[in-house]
Amino acid sequence: MEPLKKTPLNKVHHDLKARMIDFAGWELPVWYTSILEEHRAVRCGAGMFDVSDMGRVWLTGRGAGAFLDRVLTRPVQRLEIGFSKLCLLCLEDGGILDDLWVYRLGTDQYLIVWNAANIKQKLNWLLRWSGSGPDTIIDDKSSATVMLAIQGPTVHQLENLQGVSHLPRFGHTQAKIGGLSVLVARTGYTGEDGFEIITATANASPLWGLFMEQGTKPCGLGARDSLRLEAGMMLCGQDMDIGTNPFEAGLGWLVDLEKGDFVGKSALLEIKRQGIRRKLIGFQMKGREIARSGYSIFHSGQEVGKVTSGGYAPTLSVNIGLGYVPVELAAIGTDIEIIIRNKPVAAHVVDKRFYKKGA
Amino acid sequence: MNPKEYKYTQEHEWICPEPGDKGKVGLTDYAQTQLGDLVFLDLPDPSTQVEQFKKMGEVESVKAVSDLFAPVSGKVLEINQGAIDAPGLVNQDPYGEGWLVRLELSQPSELDALMNSDKYDELVAKLCEESSEQGGGS
Repeated sequence: MEPLKKTPLNKVHHDLKARMIDFAGWELPVWYTSILEEHRAVRCGAGMFDVSDMGRVWLTGRGAGAFLDRVLTRPVQRLEIGFSKLCLLCLEDGGILDDLWVYRLGTDQYLIVWNAANIKQKLNWLLRWSGSGPDTIIDDKSSATVMLAIQGPTVHQLENLQGVSHLPRFGHTQAKIGGLSVLVARTGYTGEDGFEIITATANASPLWGLFMEQGTKPCGLGARDSLRLEAGMMLCGQDMDIGTNPFEAGLGWLVDLEKGDFVGKSALLEIKRQGIRRKLIGFQMKGREIARSGYSIFHSGQEVGKVTSGGYAPTLSVNIGLGYVPVELAAIGTDIEIIIRNKPVAAHVVDKRFYKKGA
Repeated sequence: MNPKEYKYTQEHEWICPEPGDKGKVGLTDYAQTQLGDLVFLDLPDPSTQVEQFKKMGEVESVKAVSDLFAPVSGKVLEINQGAIDAPGLVNQDPYGEGWLVRLELSQPSELDALMNSDKYDELVAKLCEESSEQGGGS
């Protein structure tokens, strides 16, 4: 096994006595003090995450926009400079290789931010479609940069972020925080307002320190997972993967079949024409038992699917999950059972946006 | 620190012997810090017979599911409803309010197979050392 990769903030996490785990080959904090406390900090105040495990790839050159339009499911060249959007990277058969954020930095300058898993395969996939032409330069700067997510309803009050509080949702800009040059975007993965900040590796510890000084609570992977699940956000590799198409995953809104040809388009058109057979649902447990990823979903004594994510929803004080079931069982209110410790436990289908900000 | 009068298992349960061959059982402070915030306890029903070192239930934290083993054989007399309703009690007060079950011991001599607090302190110190070596914030 390869040794775990460490982000430039690794020592900072150890100094804070974080509990570290292996996540997609990275040694990262699962919590510093308590997942529940960290979850609450992001729902009620401000928390920060080291999300440097995510890959950051710059694409530049005359052909960069056209190239991205060829491999991604949404039109990228129509994106305004200073904005970003979520897109899918699909295989030829329509399977989901990853979901990723595309930032338009300039006319011929884009940045993609994608999940930590399978980075090499994904880079090879891009290279395969880009060929070796000089029109598109693909530059993976993940190890030269770090990424922090600052999330929560009070983040806009932080002095560090006063200069960028005007940013619209999904907007991004070059800025200075405490004299450090950073790229800031109003994006996140928690269901709250927040910013994600990319900067050079050398700035990692000073930037972290600036937010610590202003009382931003360090948060680990545990809260990152419970927050995103509560907000009904999916994790690629867990809730969808190359064996899943965007329509059954409820991600059809990320697929623009009207745009020009792109990898996977003909397969996706055919899938759409035929209709889907299974669908990702949200469910809520009726009792106290907790569904976990991989548990079986039953209906009328028959196994009908698997849980892909499950856990306790700290803000809602109920137990929730995501999983695939046949479309005829996907209607909200449908009774299902989750097999927990060999026993069927009652649950029912609910809107998978379990938590909505301000609701 | 781990209470002197308690006895401990390798799996990080404790038992506090009571007069009349009874005893309260819970998770150690080390166990609760390792698991993190507990959110669900699956405890054996009262009058269940449990067997030493065999699984008698499960505890779940936000992140993980973990087996709960019986430190000694016996009959379940009582389970801590307070902890079932608010599993965070186990994190806050693992040796007091956060107890899990009360047992009637069928073979009190089994207590001799458990660690005293000195031995258990050593075990925990060793485990903490190992994990900090692995972590090695170099």
